[in-house]
Amino acid sequence: MKIRLRFILFSLFILSVVSCKKRLDINTDPNNPSLEQLTPKLVLPAAVSSAAGRIGSDYAIFGGMWAEFYTQGTTANQFKVIDDYNVTKDFGQTNKGEPWVELFSGALNDFNFVINKAKQQGDWNYFLMATVMKAYTYQVLVDLYDKVPYTEAFQGSANLQPHFDDGYTVYKGLLAELNTALSKDFTLSTNTPAGPYDYVFTTSTESSWSITPWIRFANTLKLKMYLRMVYAKPAEAEAGIRKLYSSGVAFLDKNASMNVFQDAPDKRNPFYTYNFVEIGTNANIKASFTFLSWLRANNDPRIDNYFLPKTGSTTEYLAIHQGDYANLDPALNTTSIPNISPTAPVDFISLAESHFLQAEALERFFNGAGAKAEYDAGVTASFARYGDNAAPFIATGGSYAYPSGGTFEQKLEAIIVQKWASMPGSHAIEAFFERNRTGYPRTSPVFSTNAAYVPGQIVYSKSGITNGLFPKRLIIPDLESSRNANAPADELLTKKVWWDVR
Amino acid sequence: MKRILICLLTLVFSVHLLAQTRTVTGKVTDPDGKPVPYATVTVKGSATRVSADENGNFSIQADPNTTLVFTASGYTASETNIGTQTSIIGALGRQAALSEVVVVALGQTRSKDKLGYATSSFKSEDINRSAPVSPLDGLQGRVAGAEISTIGGQPGSSTKIILRGYSSFSTAATSENQALIVVDGVPFNNSRLGSFNDFLNSGGADFGNGLNDLNPGDIENITVLKGAAATSLYGSRAANGVVVVTTKRGRPGKISIDVSSSAIFSTVAKLPDFQNTWGQGWSGQHLKEENGSWGPKLDGKERLWGSQVDNSRLLKPFVAVEDNVRHFYDMGKEYNNSIAFRGGNETANFYLSYGNVNNNGVLPGKTDVYNRNTLALRGQLKTNQFSAAASLNYINKEGHTAFSDAFNSSGSSTFSNIIQIARDLHITDFKDYNNKFFNVDNYFTPYASNPYYSLFENGNNQKNDRVFGNVELGYDFSKVFNIRWRTGVDVADSRVKDWQAIENPKPRTWRGENPTNYEGASLTPLIGGVRELSQYVRELNSDFFVNYNKDVITDLNVSGFLGANYNERESRTQQSKITGLTIPGYYDITNAGSPPVDVASTFKRRLIGAFAQLNLSYKDYLFLSANARNDWSSTLPIGKNSYFYPGVNASVVMSRLIGLEGTSISYFKLRGAYGKTGKDAPVYSLKSIGVSSNTDLAFGNIALPLNNVSSFELGNTIGNSDLKPELTTEYEIGTEVRFLKDRIGLDFTYYRKRTKGQILSVPIAASTGYQSLIANFGLVENKGIEFVGTLVPARSKDFNWTTTFTFTRNRNTVLELPEGLDKVDFNSAYNVSFVARVGQPIGVFEAPKKLMTEDGKFVATTAGYFAQTEDEIYGNIQRDYNMGLNNSISYKNWNLGFSFDYRKGGVFYSYTAQLTYFVGNAWLTQYNDRRPFVIPNSVVQTGTDAQGKPIYAENTIPIDVNKTNSYWANVNNPAHSYDLVILPKDFLKLRDVTLTYRLPSSVAQKIRAQNISISVIGRNFLLWVPTKNTFIDPEITNLGNDLTGELGEFGGSPTYKAYGAALRITF
Repeated sequence: MKIRLRFILFSLFILSVVSCKKRLDINTDPNNPSLEQLTPKLVLPAAVSSAAGRIGSDYAIFGGMWAEFYTQGTTANQFKVIDDYNVTKDFGQTNKGEPWVELFSGALNDFNFVINKAKQQGDWNYFLMATVMKAYTYQVLVDLYDKVPYTEAFQGSANLQPHFDDGYTVYKGLLAELNTALSKDFTLSTNTPAGPYDYVFTTSTESSWSITPWIRFANTLKLKMYLRMVYAKPAEAEAGIRKLYSSGVAFLDKNASMNVFQDAPDKRNPFYTYNFVEIGTNANIKASFTFLSWLRANNDPRIDNYFLPKTGSTTEYLAIHQGDYANLDPALNTTSIPNISPTAPVDFISLAESHFLQAEALERFFNGAGAKAEYDAGVTASFARYGDNAAPFIATGGSYAYPSGGTFEQKLEAIIVQKWASMPGSHAIEAFFERNRTGYPRTSPVFSTNAAYVPGQIVYSKSGITNGLFPKRLIIPDLESSRNANAPADELLTKKVWWDVR
Repeated sequence: MKRILICLLTLVFSVHLLAQTRTVTGKVTDPDGKPVPYATVTVKGSATRVSADENGNFSIQADPNTTLVFTASGYTASETNIGTQTSIIGALGRQAALSEVVVVALGQTRSKDKLGYATSSFKSEDINRSAPVSPLDGLQGRVAGAEISTIGGQPGSSTKIILRGYSSFSTAATSENQALIVVDGVPFNNSRLGSFNDFLNSGGADFGNGLNDLNPGDIENITVLKGAAATSLYGSRAANGVVVVTTKRGRPGKISIDVSSSAIFSTVAKLPDFQNTWGQGWSGQHLKEENGSWGPKLDGKERLWGSQVDNSRLLKPFVAVEDNVRHFYDMGKEYNNSIAFRGGNETANFYLSYGNVNNNGVLPGKTDVYNRNTLALRGQLKTNQFSAAASLNYINKEGHTAFSDAFNSSGSSTFSNIIQIARDLHITDFKDYNNKFFNVDNYFTPYASNPYYSLFENGNNQKNDRVFGNVELGYDFSKVFNIRWRTGVDVADSRVKDWQAIENPKPRTWRGENPTNYEGASLTPLIGGVRELSQYVRELNSDFFVNYNKDVITDLNVSGFLGANYNERESRTQQSKITGLTIPGYYDITNAGSPPVDVASTFKRRLIGAFAQLNLSYKDYLFLSANARNDWSSTLPIGKNSYFYPGVNASVVMSRLIGLEGTSISYFKLRGAYGKTGKDAPVYSLKSIGVSSNTDLAFGNIALPLNNVSSFELGNTIGNSDLKPELTTEYEIGTEVRFLKDRIGLDFTYYRKRTKGQILSVPIAASTGYQSLIANFGLVENKGIEFVGTLVPARSKDFNWTTTFTFTRNRNTVLELPEGLDKVDFNSAYNVSFVARVGQPIGVFEAPKKLMTEDGKFVATTAGYFAQTEDEIYGNIQRDYNMGLNNSISYKNWNLGFSFDYRKGGVFYSYTAQLTYFVGNAWLTQYNDRRPFVIPNSVVQTGTDAQGKPIYAENTIPIDVNKTNSYWANVNNPAHSYDLVILPKDFLKLRDVTLTYRLPSSVAQKIRAQNISISVIGRNFLLWVPTKNTFIDPEITNLGNDLTGELGEFGGSPTYKAYGAALRITF
């Protein structure tokens, strides 16, 4: 009895141990797909949304305040440090570099995944789309931070401390990547149409979808990047632009934007979500006198598309002088706020911007042939977006008429100022870059409260702490530099980036 | 299972039918005449045997002239011939040394003599002295080596217990560092089901942790096992120590009924010290819509205030309402009733209890409520060879709680709302939130909601059903060899519904769009929402043992066991959420313009273990025990999922070895232990995954699908297919000494615990493409001393006084972090980071400090505020030491008990402090009578010299009246603010005072009771904190029940003090 029982017990024990192995094989996550299940089609929309989400909110707010469309309101606090030019590497209450983090890990890493997968599958449609979006996202990052990890990025645990590349190296790399992607054969049967999965040039069906707008987007982005380095690397920029024109490429003839937002929770334009839904008050971002005075001086009809009337009025607009948030005048509490729709697109390159880029290129390298037409088309496109008519403004004698008889600088100023005026909202960071590159809109010698102030000229913020120096970049955020020993030493906010040599 | 129960019950009720001879009753006492509970009374030469009850009373069937034998552990036996008496006192002798029996690993019991490690045990009466609702609430400050804290001030709030310091890097608000709870040998789910943070950005709620589901009245004893040597047989989850709970069982003897009932009334305890000199406004002006006290000096004159409605406005004197915050709170009422039946005979017994807690907390109305019903049924059956026991418990719990958390919030918790209100306003006036001056349209400020509106119109409701129990079967083959099999299940289902009301003031009202107030600010409309959360958790645990126990040769006993363990845990969570209500006030998940956002997840994990223990004892003074366990876990890589951990401990009772009996040293024991425990990985950590697309914005997010296509992205965490278990190695040495017939006792322990290879998602640079990497890394050391001193200043028939002193000092050091990381972030608030750094204790507070010149002057900014440095260390969470003092004094039928809990050292972040400074309600904001000043002893930088060194000049920039408020605000003057809001967390609490009177048995017998006692109870009514903390009880947090919560508090709810009475009757 005893022995038999012991034997049975022992056998049971052994049996149970043997059956353990199978019982322990239950560690596959049932809540999330495996990496093997992900495809370019599944991943690209998410990555585009990440890029638009951060560039169109956080960076648009930096750009919007530093390009002086907006300024900090007098009854709230959120963005005082931006108006103060006191943005540190761990700026903000919830933000120690979260846009950077989201763009690297949420956008670029996913673009990279799509690029690699599409390459394996020979799907050049997705290869090009992801490459263009990667190049665009990188261009914004490198223009803001000057040096970013590029050649050693996205290696996961294989390289936890990616080396930082200087901006010029990144530009060259991106242009090369764009060229490679453009050189692919888009007629092959291995290419798949994106249709509704394309958040930029979306079509309702896959069959009505075409890669052509993406080729135009790629070329326009190349044009933008060459122009951005036109002062730092003039010969290379000129050669690049001449080659674009000589090879007869086409540029964007419509907005390259993420334009699929809906007015529903968590599905709205990111700037709108950030500032009008989630932050709890709309008293932070207010109209800057700099921009509003310019719109007003020109009787620009876009004023009611860019701003809401002041509180308590349906027709009157009110602005705060840049950085004058400490002003206790209670009237300023009613200052106009931005007019941003919940479904407003996030532009990557707008149609107006495409025309302005072409106008500048033609003016610079082709004796201005056709430049006026591109300029006029740019202004028209910007007005048309809001149903406004630009014709009287660009007609001879109109306030925005192209200075055809003027010097190159006068023409450039007209182009860049009009480009600036087309960019409030989610696209505002580009206005900041273009001002840094060209110096337009001009810097005002006096503050905007001075009688001698010329509307639209950029003023040094009333609350600036940098002794008259304007911000020129962002500092590599703490979330990167504290984890990456290869991050360069912190630079001043006022130090120019590599292409900013004017 | 069912059959066993029926069988048990049948046996129980047949007991009395068998009785034939006459009844002898009596009492078993110790040499001092005090009753000895649960002594065994046997009729000599027969099988008749009963147990005395907890007051020593017994009742036995015996023939005349037989002899009764009285035995009890810790006493020498005595015999008495009953002659013809029917009432008998059985006096026991005192044994030279008490050999307390302790429940150790896996439900085994061992004599405390034999243990080579420290344990702390508490009996039912210790646990229930102050009639607590949660089992550990009665033990705060009484366990050496443990820090037990109630983390919130609302009914049913979680209690956390950390043993011998934090050792795991835990960035989640889960219980990575908490002790494992084991009830009757089976692991017990201690998670905070249904609790959440950041619903609709309006905060969080704490519905309490699993341990608080237990009715303390059902607990026989609690043993706290602290070290690895003691806990390793419990397997993977025991690395942070184990709280072993043994519930009450039936006992041989007649059926007894215990009834206990308590009513406790609570009021809010510590509130911030407010200033009462300045009234509503901002920047010195009386602004009628401002939420804060930066207005003019309170001059007592009549002033109009608040909104203008229908061309009228309220008028009141401009004077401080000193207790306006305190008056907001009501008296909390807690009723705790339970009844328990127990009885049985030598073969079978049962225990049946029902408990009900009904608690309405200190917030107005029924907005913070905790109702709990517990039902327990336990039975045991024992024949010569076969034994069976079963326990079945059902808990039903329902709670509502005010949102306690203002973290990441645009709304706010009730507390952080009311502490902002200007000092001259009567908060209770706002109670009528339909009044035209206080309603949604016209409440006095657009910067906050009427607290009553938020409290009564928003809400949540948690319903929780839980069943746990176990079955244990045993078979004794012989006296030396037996087997036991025990299986337990713990299933809980929790449903939470939250709702937030629409708050949308009408346009052109005081706070609507185009508002009529002076500053033109309007309330951002709250669009309302509903969330439904359902959580199901299940744990199955099964142990099988083969036990062996034999005297091999004279004086040498060998015992031990072999066993196996199977553990399975699974859970399912489902959540649906809508925002933007279509019909106001209708809280249903369909009531929105867009479909609900749904999330669901499940997990399942298994663990299989094999273990063995070998115990050797020589005579009654040399003991050695060795154990080993091997686990196979489903969460580790297959093929590498096995891990082994051994332990050994020994003890020598020196007083017996060298024969100290009869000297003044009554007991002297030395002990030592060494042990390891392993801990497996979090579930699903091995592979990188794709995740449903969601773009986080700084505020809000973009969740796909958009354009009717859904999308997935690469997860931000890199999985690790090489994970190894986290291993804790610990040794401890200790001694127990007792003097003068045990009137003085000392128990001292030194331990050193090292935890290596913590599994954490290590934050990595985003340029890798990811945000974190799951890895084994790090080494954390905890070493310290624990001391328990017991003193019996008086011991006599009528007067007894026992005092127990505990002292704990734990030194925690982070010895290693992942390569390339100089810190690991756990949590942060307003740029106060809460991190780990090498060489520092876990949990360091870092924030910028005031910039100083080399010659000790403050550097001011161009605005006149303090210039700040980079992040510097403000302190850490580590206590210098904790002390507890517990007293029990009894005189005749009276007993007075009280305990102090003192915790010294460490800092915490207080959002309550930050907020009261920001709005000008804090006492210190009266600085300089709020007149303009220049920061004393400060300079400004005017340039740099040739070497690039700064040149300074005297600072003349005044903090004028427009800047006074900013001077105290974090956003403008951060370095100053951090200094004010990172506060010492020292405290001294008088945890409880209990005065109990036991009615004379003559009185009790009038209602046929054996025992009636009445207690008057006070809890937490004295709190001392350092003078710098003029804000809040540092024990509370609303940031989770683990390491993340040690950051501090974020406008949670204040703690309360309570008074009441309890009645206990035994029939």
